[in-house]
Amino acid sequence: MEGLVATGLIGISLGAQYALLALGFTLIFGILGVVNFAHGGFYVLGGYIAYATTTHLGAPYPVAVVIAALGTAGLGYVFERFLLERLVDDHLATLMLTLGLYLMMSSGILVVFGPESPSFEFPITGVLRGGGFYFPLQNLIVLAVCIVAIVTLYWLVYHTDFGRALRALADDRAVAAAQGLRPKLLFPLAFALATGLAGLTGALVTPILSLAPHIGDPVLATSFLIVILGGLGSVGGATVAAFIVGLIEAYSAVYLGGSKGALALFTLVLLMLVIRPSGLFGREARGA
Amino acid sequence: MKTTRRNVILSGAAVGAAMVVPRMAAFAAAPEVKLGVVGVLSGPAAQWGLALRGAVEFVAAEANRDGLIKIDGQPANVSVVAIDSKYTAEGAAAAANSLAGQGVKMILGPIGSPELTGIKPIALRNSMLVMGNGYAKDAIGPQWPLVFHQGPGPSGWADPIIKIAKAKFGMKSVVVVAPNDQGGTDIASVDAQAYKANGIAATEEYYQRGTTNFAPIVTRIMNQKPEAVDLASSPPGDAGIMVKQLRQAGFEGAIGRLGGPGYSEISRVAGGDEVLKDFYWYEPVFIDEKVLKIADDYKTLMKTERPENNLFFQWVSAARMVAKAIAKAGTATDTQKIAAALRSLPVEDPNLGAGGWIGQKFFGVNQELSFPFGVGLVVNGKVQPVQRVDAATET
Repeated sequence: MEGLVATGLIGISLGAQYALLALGFTLIFGILGVVNFAHGGFYVLGGYIAYATTTHLGAPYPVAVVIAALGTAGLGYVFERFLLERLVDDHLATLMLTLGLYLMMSSGILVVFGPESPSFEFPITGVLRGGGFYFPLQNLIVLAVCIVAIVTLYWLVYHTDFGRALRALADDRAVAAAQGLRPKLLFPLAFALATGLAGLTGALVTPILSLAPHIGDPVLATSFLIVILGGLGSVGGATVAAFIVGLIEAYSAVYLGGSKGALALFTLVLLMLVIRPSGLFGREARGA
Repeated sequence: MKTTRRNVILSGAAVGAAMVVPRMAAFAAAPEVKLGVVGVLSGPAAQWGLALRGAVEFVAAEANRDGLIKIDGQPANVSVVAIDSKYTAEGAAAAANSLAGQGVKMILGPIGSPELTGIKPIALRNSMLVMGNGYAKDAIGPQWPLVFHQGPGPSGWADPIIKIAKAKFGMKSVVVVAPNDQGGTDIASVDAQAYKANGIAATEEYYQRGTTNFAPIVTRIMNQKPEAVDLASSPPGDAGIMVKQLRQAGFEGAIGRLGGPGYSEISRVAGGDEVLKDFYWYEPVFIDEKVLKIADDYKTLMKTERPENNLFFQWVSAARMVAKAIAKAGTATDTQKIAAALRSLPVEDPNLGAGGWIGQKFFGVNQELSFPFGVGLVVNGKVQPVQRVDAATET
């Protein structure tokens, strides 16, 4: 019983990290209809901005996390406003643009910081222990930030004029634009929000795990898996799917082993997609 | 064409140039010896590839400085063509194909087992000599007579390291963890055998390469209550996370890494030597003053610091052996002749000392270089001086 609960706690920790990663990814698809292949790059960049801010500028870690979120949001805004927006309806072009941006980001980081992982520590290192369980405090902080991020995002998307405008543009851009909504202003803001979330996640998670120029690849793969399972573009679906994936990964890896666990995860996701091809909470197709 | 004074002068100049240029070229062109480098130059294992490339470039510069290689009595110019294998079999195969297309007949590298598996068929097809480093169980063999091993795999060094670790930490059980591909399984299974041969109960655990959070694997390991954990050939970044998460989970035992160097990065990622606590690892080269002289020579010759990873020194000794074999064979293209020269050379390096050829017992072919190596230890969070171990033999 203790083992089941302890594994469940690990699954929840994994789910919180995955949810933070997947929210930005699914938001961009849901609003813009763009699959952002640079998402992992923004995660890595967020980590490196936080690392450089604490190590080279001597700023406190919380300040570094805020700077990382703002920095990646700023880059995302500029990228969407001046590059992506011109070709936003051409899916192949946006795919190539975001992939190109990812390659530029990872190569740039490699040139500036080198290929090896730097020493980047989370400032809080304690572990809560008791009754056969353990829960690192840093995971608790990530979980708290995840909950705040999910609630804030829901509020933004579903209870503000900004969110209503974004959803209207996502449903039918032409009609929404005819009614005075401005995609050239709102889309970059949505993109910045999503990339800022990726940067925030990178700043929070990389000191807990590790920071290196290449770590965006598995991040992108995991985000993709989660948003497909949750339903492309569904914020709620991504959140639920993130925790499902986290829990399946934890239980299967603990009780079946690393290799069989990965196989079990992908098999379950595949089965779920056979039953519901549009994902758990996905619609058949985007309106715009 | 009209016969004008301008055209006559131009034609004369062209004829003159046509007569002079080939003579100048024949006079200027020294024989060219191209050493190919196939190694991982990007991604998590890049430090291994950068060490390889730096070593071969250094040996090429040494050979050029000393006029070591002569082809048809003329000093040859040794150059290096390096291609990123991306630490994959297909990347290494593509790199080998590219080198074959450029007429390169000698390859230093690759580093990982999957890469070596990818490169061997291309090398065989194009009669290329390979001095590689994969720790796979079939890294070398009689079916690949031109493939050499730049240093022993775990079959050579796991046993003496385990003996030292057992004497220091006294473990009776171990879980060996590695990625679930050939780069992991071939090393972990040999390590596990070596533990068992030393009376230590060993089980193997594998994880999907690309895993970023090892908390579930760590929980599975903890459930087995081992007295030690060996991270085998897990990349340094992965190994660092696992060390950190093992300690968070309350694991107090010794942690080893019998798979390759990378201690400094593991320590950085884990959070320092205090987190490593009790740690042991394989150092491919025992670093003493003579070996460090290579670093000084590198700085003098290459005008920059040597690559950080200590595999650099091992690659220098292997590349020097290849250079000596080319010099002895007097050819840069007949790889059969170069291989024969290499097999006949005594294993000796001015900095690393004397060693020997091994591999007959494990691989069925005596084409594995063996030099003295080191065992690194962290005890109670304090790094100990690396212990020297004599070159592995097959007795």
